[in-house]
Amino acid sequence: MRVSPEWLTDNRDTAALAAMLAPDSLFSLETLAAESRAITLRRFGQTMTLYAPLYLSNYCSSGCAYCGFASDRTTPRHRLEPDDIRQELNAMKKIGISDILLLTGERTAAADFEYLQQSVAIAAQEMQRVSVEAFPMSVSEYRKLADCGCTGITIYQETYNRQRYKTLHRWGPKKDFIDRLETPARALEGGIKTVGLGVLLGLSDPVEDALSLYRHLRHLGHTYWRAGMSVSFPRMRPQTGGYEPPFPVDHHLLARMIFAFRISLPDTELVLSTRESAAFRDGMAGLGITRMSIESRTTVGGYHDPGNQEKGQFDICDDRTAKEFCTALRTKNIEPVFKNWEPAYNGPVSPNSSPAIPETQPCH
Amino acid sequence: MSQMITIELNGEQQPFPPGSSVSDLLAIIGSDGKSVAVVVNEQIIRPENRLSHLLQEGDRVELLMFAGGG
Amino acid sequence: MDLLHFGSYTFSSRLILGTGKFSNSTVMLDAVRSSGAQLVTVALRRFNREQAEDDLFGPLSAIKGITLMPNTSGASTASEAVRAAHIARELSGSPFIKVEIHPNPQHLMPDPIETFEASRILAKEGFLVMPYIAADPVLAKRLEEVGCASVMPLGSAIGSGQGLATSEMLNIIIRESGIPVIVDAGLRSPSEAAHAMEMGCEAVLVNSAVAVAGNPPAMAEAFAEAVVAGRKAFRSGLMQKSGSAIATSPLTSFLGTL
Repeated sequence: MRVSPEWLTDNRDTAALAAMLAPDSLFSLETLAAESRAITLRRFGQTMTLYAPLYLSNYCSSGCAYCGFASDRTTPRHRLEPDDIRQELNAMKKIGISDILLLTGERTAAADFEYLQQSVAIAAQEMQRVSVEAFPMSVSEYRKLADCGCTGITIYQETYNRQRYKTLHRWGPKKDFIDRLETPARALEGGIKTVGLGVLLGLSDPVEDALSLYRHLRHLGHTYWRAGMSVSFPRMRPQTGGYEPPFPVDHHLLARMIFAFRISLPDTELVLSTRESAAFRDGMAGLGITRMSIESRTTVGGYHDPGNQEKGQFDICDDRTAKEFCTALRTKNIEPVFKNWEPAYNGPVSPNSSPAIPETQPCH
Repeated sequence: MSQMITIELNGEQQPFPPGSSVSDLLAIIGSDGKSVAVVVNEQIIRPENRLSHLLQEGDRVELLMFAGGG
Repeated sequence: MDLLHFGSYTFSSRLILGTGKFSNSTVMLDAVRSSGAQLVTVALRRFNREQAEDDLFGPLSAIKGITLMPNTSGASTASEAVRAAHIARELSGSPFIKVEIHPNPQHLMPDPIETFEASRILAKEGFLVMPYIAADPVLAKRLEEVGCASVMPLGSAIGSGQGLATSEMLNIIIRESGIPVIVDAGLRSPSEAAHAMEMGCEAVLVNSAVAVAGNPPAMAEAFAEAVVAGRKAFRSGLMQKSGSAIATSPLTSFLGTL
């Protein structure tokens, strides 16, 4: 079993964040909110970047105790074929979405790397910005994805507590803690421009996990200093399978974490999904969150055929339409931003800088 | 007395006896050689080679030492 | 022990002293001794028989524990700096080189392009490259990437005594750097050196402030003490500055209704 790296427990930089998150913190929520809001306004202005997830496949080989798509669940398995994908993308474009996150489970024969790469290529033709939340890949696989137009990889460590991680990831490739930990670095090494990190709040001590997550971001930032980074705050909610989170995080603590991250990492994108309620999302917009998902479906597909009655990976709490959500944002003086990217920039990054403009490989 | 050769030393033309080695040059100008670096025609002449390296007409010699600096 | 490491070298002093501008070499050598500095910068100059007593190599080498860091001052291109580095290493045997390329003698601001090019070459050749730069966070990372041993951003222009005018940029550099950050140039007083250390610099380089002080050896000692104090404070967990943002109406009351 490989040893955890030193940076994961290095405390030299974490005092400020720890002070904001401590149960007996001297900082009131209101104080943190004001500081977080001020920084967000200065760095990001009065805008909210919007994106939507598209589940390509819910085939999965792993046995994560907390997930509705674990391989021992009875949920029906689907995979979107290229024409299905195009249909979904068209439906999403009609809503105004141009920034998407493609999702799959762990690597399986039904949804392997070639399938993912092909799907990215299709999506990159229709969407301005394509990110992927799937299985850990190699540097060369990430480079191929980058060549096909993928500019972002989201990969959550779920928990940085090794013991808890071992207990929760019962079988399958996701058991490998270190491999997953090293995944964002491999993605950046392969030329992916942005990585999204996060922990699944509820699985483990949230403050400890928050500090580890912060260390992970700082560590990546030292080497991959050209990279964009984002942090999501997925919080355990009722889902298919009924896993009870042993460390439930209430919305006060979640708000505190978001403010503390904004203050500690002023330039990092902070992301909130439709797991959270409309009221919470509206309240947090402008206080620290800079990116949100909209009109989400967590079933496979689901945009083209919204009548799908199957259970998704998690239950959606904010089910407002894009239009309704944008109206709510505008009421708060926040401008919804659907497109914040130019496809011309979709080539891979060369990490060891050379002045020459990198050639992009043709995508197969 | 045989013809002197002209060496450019630290930017200035100076005559030296033909067949002078770098060590000879250092002795002539009054350096003990310990705290100077010698560069002949862009090439550094290491202390162990100074005796054997003979100077030619027109050689450009730079003698450098450490002085105060920030 | 809180030691400063470069390659195989280890230093206990975090004050690097420059040897220029002193009224005479005796005063300068006294200041070096008083400061406890273990890294000392020198410049290359043409040997001059009439000024043979200006030679510093002999006297400095005689002080116990001193390692020379020659600078490339005088060079205005990367190739001149590389040549100077070769000569300096030949003379001193030290792998340290301060890459200092300032083509404009009015303000002595460093040329980032020539500095990057020279640093890249010299790092590959195995020098411990300490590039002197403006407080440019991206340039600092580029230099780290090509293998420099440290970066040396200026606090303010050489000899200007304007202190840490670049502190905002320095903060960014320090926060993002994976190699030691050494503030060089512009420090006027020991308190500024302490402040630089409190910010997280691994060392400071001081020259003018000591050389032109009324009593240089005493000033050198004061700087040494300030550097120790500042470093100690940095390692002891300074109290956080409080944020200054105040909202006019409560921002988090919505949480109560959830």
